[in-house]
Amino acid sequence: MRFANRSRGPARRARLAGATAVAMLVSLGLAACGDDSEPASKEAPSELDDLTDDPVTLNFIWFEWPPAQALEDFANAEYTKERPNVTIKVDTVPNANWHDAMFTQFAARQTDFDIAVLDSQHIGEAVTNDNILDITEFVEENIDTDAYDPYLLAAYGQYPQAETGQRDEDASLYGLPLLGDTWTMIYRKDLIGEEPPKTWDEMIAAAKTCQDENPGVSGLAFHQSNGSDAAAVTYNTVNGVYGGNLWESKDRKIEGVINDEAGHKAMDVLVNQMKPLTAKGSGNWFIDEVNAAVAQGKACIAFQWIAASGGLLDPAQSTLGKTREEILDKLGFATLPSQDADFVPLGGMGMHVSAYTSEAEQLEALNFMRWFQQPEVQKKWAAAGGVPSRTDALQSPEFLDAAPFNVVYAESVPRLRDMWNVPEYARLIDIENTNVNAALNGAKDPREALDEIARQQQSVLESSGGLD
Amino acid sequence: MALSVDEAVPGPASDPTPHARRRTGGGSRARAVIEGGLLLLLAVAMLFPVLWMVETSIKDGRDVYAVPAQFIGFDATLDHYRDVFVKPGGGRSDLSVAFLNSVIVAGASTALATLLGVPAAWAYSRFTLKAKKDQLFFILSTRFMPPVVVVIPIFLMYRDLGLINTKLGLVLIYTAFNVPFTIWMMKGFIDEVPAEYEDAAMLDGYSRFQAFYKVTLPLLVPGIAATAVFALIFSWNEFVFAIFLTSSSDVRTAPPAIAGLIGGTTVDWGLVAASAVVFALPVLVFTYLVRKHLVAGVTLGAVRR
Amino acid sequence: MTSTLETPEQEATVSPPAPGRLSRLGDRWLAIGFISPAMLLLLAMSVFPLLWALYLSFTDYSAARDVPASFVGFDNYAEVLTSSQVRQRALTTLIYVVGAVGLQTVLGFSIAYLISRRTRGRGALTTMFLVPMMLSPIVVGLFWRFMLDTQFGVVNSLLGSLGLGQVEWLTQQRTAMLSLVVVDTWQWTPFIMLIALAGLTAVPKYLYEAAAIDRASEWFRFRYITLPLVWPLLLIAVMFRAIEAFRQFDTVYILTNGGPGVSTETLSFHVYKVAFLGFDTGTASAYGILMVLVVIVLAQFYLRYLNKLKEG
Repeated sequence: MRFANRSRGPARRARLAGATAVAMLVSLGLAACGDDSEPASKEAPSELDDLTDDPVTLNFIWFEWPPAQALEDFANAEYTKERPNVTIKVDTVPNANWHDAMFTQFAARQTDFDIAVLDSQHIGEAVTNDNILDITEFVEENIDTDAYDPYLLAAYGQYPQAETGQRDEDASLYGLPLLGDTWTMIYRKDLIGEEPPKTWDEMIAAAKTCQDENPGVSGLAFHQSNGSDAAAVTYNTVNGVYGGNLWESKDRKIEGVINDEAGHKAMDVLVNQMKPLTAKGSGNWFIDEVNAAVAQGKACIAFQWIAASGGLLDPAQSTLGKTREEILDKLGFATLPSQDADFVPLGGMGMHVSAYTSEAEQLEALNFMRWFQQPEVQKKWAAAGGVPSRTDALQSPEFLDAAPFNVVYAESVPRLRDMWNVPEYARLIDIENTNVNAALNGAKDPREALDEIARQQQSVLESSGGLD
Repeated sequence: MALSVDEAVPGPASDPTPHARRRTGGGSRARAVIEGGLLLLLAVAMLFPVLWMVETSIKDGRDVYAVPAQFIGFDATLDHYRDVFVKPGGGRSDLSVAFLNSVIVAGASTALATLLGVPAAWAYSRFTLKAKKDQLFFILSTRFMPPVVVVIPIFLMYRDLGLINTKLGLVLIYTAFNVPFTIWMMKGFIDEVPAEYEDAAMLDGYSRFQAFYKVTLPLLVPGIAATAVFALIFSWNEFVFAIFLTSSSDVRTAPPAIAGLIGGTTVDWGLVAASAVVFALPVLVFTYLVRKHLVAGVTLGAVRR
Repeated sequence: MTSTLETPEQEATVSPPAPGRLSRLGDRWLAIGFISPAMLLLLAMSVFPLLWALYLSFTDYSAARDVPASFVGFDNYAEVLTSSQVRQRALTTLIYVVGAVGLQTVLGFSIAYLISRRTRGRGALTTMFLVPMMLSPIVVGLFWRFMLDTQFGVVNSLLGSLGLGQVEWLTQQRTAMLSLVVVDTWQWTPFIMLIALAGLTAVPKYLYEAAAIDRASEWFRFRYITLPLVWPLLLIAVMFRAIEAFRQFDTVYILTNGGPGVSTETLSFHVYKVAFLGFDTGTASAYGILMVLVVIVLAQFYLRYLNKLKEG
């Protein structure tokens, strides 16, 4: 780029510079192609004999929230008993930056983490681009797969995705569960009674009554932000409750599926019945704002990820009571009400080994994963604040007694439903997030928003690239 | 030639005009009062957010969220400032690491930009070069690229060079953004030093380089300092490259780290405010130091009056 | 090559170097040695990446996949230019840039004018007004997000004490855009003010004296003396701000994240999504190159006026 070009000399020089740059470009492009010709889909070894005794730092990448700190503390306290030469470090990024932070490093084919804590829907993108190790054989040799609800193994590790609630035994595995999660309904026992509402309609009615009876307290609080997957998970949950479907995975069909009658009904309930019961200005709320509203006694019923609910019991952050017991007198935790169908959103994440770290670190990462899936370790993880995935750990008193919402998770496991786990996930979720958020905030008609989601998502699935 | 904020500048107001004289003294005084009041109002509006930030940083959690907002009569606490530097359980906080990274990255890129930019500026000022103006405008124009756009090819380039998620990568890109500024700003300062000084030195047997090094350079120190401070501020405040090119807390600079404070499960606005104050303080001190060169500084050295 | 073949540059602000200085070969090498490191860095870090982006913009390359790029001609450009999404973002960006730069120009000039009429306290006032401009846009964005919170934000609290209701600053289409404009205006009004002040204080006294003799009205003096002399500088400030506002990413990212929906997504924000959500590197590069073209056009004007100003 040149400005004010009035003389001839520099034009010639610019051409020369341009030619040099193009030559550099070509050579670099060739170099890049040369680098890229590695064989696809690296497989993890199934034997872990060659573990090093030299000091190793095992790096995780996750987003900023309490379980990340809990994992680092837990692993450094427990894993080092077996492997004293290992230090665990859990790097965290802002939630909104989580996908970008991992996948820009994957795209760089050089990661400063050994274990990526991928969201279940990220697996497709990572597998398609050969970013993580295929651990199918490793799991066969080292992990007691019968000890798990098959769907949990599938959700956090399997690709391609099977039907909701099922595992395809022939599909490859790319990860193992780290933290299970789903939404819990949080309700004010002192305001709406001890018994949680059983159906979605009852829940809305209870919230409305509560809001009318208690000035300054809003009926509902839930995620509405257009960042991360916030508004999309909210819609997907209501969609599931009202018997809708996100897509037909076999035909890769979204148009006409998500926006069928049940889908529109769900959108109508969300925008026209639930949104009016939320606080003014809550249209950009995500995890922290919902927690703040509950802790300050400003919501009758709220929906929150279980793994993010721990802070609600902390008297230092709450106006509901001076002790944990006082708070628990007021707050109840329950599984989500059902309506026409019985689904709850699948949250949580698995551990996935980066294809771009050294072999020693990959081995250590696999060894950590094998260690982590032992029954005793899973129970200790539960006691340390984690949500395990092994069935025996899920039913252990260590887990069920650790927090009032843990039983909610155990009960929710058979009802879990995930989103699309496809390489185009990041774009699909953005389309849904922004459109649901627009509908919630009156920037778009809810019907049009849902049809727009269906149309845009379908076009993303059909042409792998492109702008509308 | 640079505008000094401190100088009492002669302006139209101080000129007694027949127009003003025609008025009664009371009228013009009333007008002055109105104008003064208006200015005061605008000043309050501009400064209020800064004051509110400082106030929030010394409130405890309850008072931060108090409705209606509390302007006075809260208990002051310095806890948030402690949290900026110290982890809850002791040890250095991630934020303090980020601040240190910012110091290193901003410092190194400023030093490098000065090292590359000052000699170039001197050459542009002293020598008659082919298409000098074109070259200078080309240099300035590189500074106008949208960072979000530049970050894509830079990312690909860094990938091949292994510079992703490194401090060196940030230093290089910040240097590239600061060199154009340094050249333009410094050229202005060098133009103000008469070339005859160097000629005289050369008559005394100095080489051209020695004349630059021993005669001109010492005279440029204040200008270099001002230029470096502006470069430092640009790098210190930069966010886009930092968030897309770095991810681990060992490398991350303060702006993405501060932005990360609102990504978790609870937002501690007191901590956000305290870290914002700590982050802004050096910039404000530096701004005060270079107040005489602000016009040149904020227009990338392009406007000097 | 000797300097006798070259015409000395016209440098308005400078004492020009004595002609004939470059006659020594050593000088030439010194100039090359002094300039080339900086130039090489700019070529490597600014020009080369841009050329690379230009090359990628004609391919279907994706940074995430290990597939070599293949040439697709102008497809990416056609896609960006015909996209209704891009058109919507362009409109949003236009509203944002015009709104923010317009508002801060009016405010900044007014403040400068008021300050220039004062006889005392000018330095202190100016320094005070400058604070917002030096803060990091990230800090500014975060803090305004806190102040504009519907429930506990101080802005609504103040409105409440005036008897006005709560305003949803960041979650309604119109108010979200307004908030972006207000925040940008808050931060950059000082910039316009500073430059306008530089212009205002440079108006020669004798012009006003002459006008006084002619008994010109105050409006006449402002319109025919002050404004024409300040105008070129002000225009430079406006164009500079327009370029900066067009490039702006941080404030949108922090304040609204483009919401509600996508109603405050600017071009800068959208190109980020194309580049990093789908890793559609080819399309994103074409998008970016088109944005650079817009900046170049703006910068052309900027530099042309700068030139005029320096020569005039």
